[in-house]
Amino acid sequence: MLNTICARIWRGILIMERGREELRGYEQINEKIKRGDAIVMTAEEFIELVEQSGLEKAAKEVDIVTTGTFGAMCSSGAFMNFGHSEPPIKMIRCWLNDVPAYKGLAAVDAYLGAAAMSETRPFEYGGGHVIEDLVSGKEIELRAESYGTDCYPRRSLETTIVLEDLNQAYLYNPRNAYQRYNSATNSSDRILYTYMGTLLPRYGNITFSGSGQLSPLYKDLGLETIGFGTRIFLGGGVGYVVGEGTQHKPQSGFATLAVKGDLKGMSPEYLKGAVFQNYGTTLYVGIGIPIPLINMRVASTAALKDEDIPVDILDYSIPSRDRPIVKKSNYAELKSGRVLIGDKEVPSSPLSSVKVARKIAEVLKKQIENKEFFLQRPIELLPSYREFKPLKIKKREVTVRDLMMPLQELILASPEDEVKKVARLIVEKNIDHIPIISEDGVLIGIVTTWDLTKALAEDKHKLKEIMTRTVITAKEDERVDEVAKRMAQYHISGLPVVDDVMHVKGLITSDDISRKLVGRRAA
Amino acid sequence: MKVKLRYSHEVASKPILAEIILKTGLLINILEAKLTPKEGEMVIDIATQGSALKNALQQLRSSGLEVIELRSLVEVDKGLCISCGACISPCPSKAISFDENLDIEIDAKRCIGCGICVKACPRRAIQLI
Ligand code: SF4
Ligand code: SF4
Repeated sequence: MLNTICARIWRGILIMERGREELRGYEQINEKIKRGDAIVMTAEEFIELVEQSGLEKAAKEVDIVTTGTFGAMCSSGAFMNFGHSEPPIKMIRCWLNDVPAYKGLAAVDAYLGAAAMSETRPFEYGGGHVIEDLVSGKEIELRAESYGTDCYPRRSLETTIVLEDLNQAYLYNPRNAYQRYNSATNSSDRILYTYMGTLLPRYGNITFSGSGQLSPLYKDLGLETIGFGTRIFLGGGVGYVVGEGTQHKPQSGFATLAVKGDLKGMSPEYLKGAVFQNYGTTLYVGIGIPIPLINMRVASTAALKDEDIPVDILDYSIPSRDRPIVKKSNYAELKSGRVLIGDKEVPSSPLSSVKVARKIAEVLKKQIENKEFFLQRPIELLPSYREFKPLKIKKREVTVRDLMMPLQELILASPEDEVKKVARLIVEKNIDHIPIISEDGVLIGIVTTWDLTKALAEDKHKLKEIMTRTVITAKEDERVDEVAKRMAQYHISGLPVVDDVMHVKGLITSDDISRKLVGRRAA
Repeated sequence: MKVKLRYSHEVASKPILAEIILKTGLLINILEAKLTPKEGEMVIDIATQGSALKNALQQLRSSGLEVIELRSLVEVDKGLCISCGACISPCPSKAISFDENLDIEIDAKRCIGCGICVKACPRRAIQLI
């Protein structure tokens, strides 16, 4: 579906000039707003109108479609200027309510990121919460340190500030308002706590993000009206698009925006600090963008419905940048609360607030109708293609192969072997884990020194009586830190290293990892 | 309905609940129990209704237990909640849903007090009570 819609739109844009004002222009629209007779509809109202009277007629009638989204946007934050103390200080480190702000700027300028966490209450309170508290008018504790210079002699300070005290405080978010976003599920056997929320084991639930048919950037899928300088609703106040967002990838429906706006005009209703369990803190940002229906292409994407917006459901239990797609879905199915995966009906729920997104689209519509909000033609459009490059790790990473005990140093046993015999071998070789293999060399179990000791005490004879049959294993080319995590997770100290057909290649223990790895780093 | 029973030091060692179940035919499901020889707390779901329920609660009370009727095992702070829905699908007993205004609703009859929603809520708006 996306492919056809996208291809059609992009083909159209390649042929024709993007952003061409064919149905109406910005001046004309602003004139109508001034006169009080601009026709404004929220994206959802426009969808309904198109269904009733057809796209052509609806596009002629409606001047502006308003959109909205309210979701967790980690790449958000605020630039601030605190003003100078007496004597002044060149802050090299500073904290707001114990949340560190970036101080690689001039003496009393700082950037507070939404994902920065409180040093005293990590995973509970962070930069996003500070921003919410500031906008709520609450008092914030400011702490700063310096080395002292001839021009800025002070070395430390502690005080409190409120938003009004700051010379400037503006939201500057490098990546907001994803056009659409992938959805998450979990195939593993344990609960995952992710930035996509809590994911129950064995496809126990699905979470998704973004506002679907209200999504600002999806309603202008070809990026014909949203560009540098576009005036927007931001956090309850006025903001501007200041460029493409980081990881902007419009060719696949993942465009993003960088936005800016004065915190002093914003409202805590649309800026909410939040925390994702075991992941960290963030900020829910409310964004609404008016989309002028300048041509039929814009009108047609403004009319796209939840079921037209594809969403891949990804398996977040795979700790990789390329997570496998479990199912291709769409916002309509996800919002319904039930998604079929195979023959299992899996509950789905959003992370972004559709309720608040709807409200933003409504509020923006009212502001335009009340002549409080005018449209700004973008100074320049956003790139319509951006390669999204991965980060290559150029230094070779330590893998299991580097640290494992090779096959020739191991003792492999058969399930029929005698406990006593193996116990003796273990003592001679000073080994803790014995993989047990079948006649054709396939790993079928494991015993540890402790199992053998117990077996002797309990008078058991054969290894098959005592071996652990579900063996947690590692692969030769796995990264050592992944394997260390697995050991910690299952509370075990050694893993057989196997190939794809479960033939034993070696063994890796937590001892090997800690001793050899530390040795390596030191050297 | 859900009820929390509190055992004090004096009654903790007596089989009060078992006796009352036998006597009144009370239908219960134990949801949570923390009992030590000294004191204890138990959350039970009672299927029995009407006058039989009243009678049983009366007997539990007069045998020295503190009986607290639970409206719900969790509570949502509406002032903090942003109606995101992050708590809905993680709930293993499907107790949470949106109402027609897209506000969050917790069905006290389904909730088992597992606390998963408490951790799932990005606004820390849910508390176990
Ligand atoms: S406590 Fe558990 S059962 Fe109750 S609402 Fe929360 S997640 Fe659902
Ligand atoms: S997760 Fe928290 S904030 Fe979101 S709807 Fe549930 S209770 Fe409200």
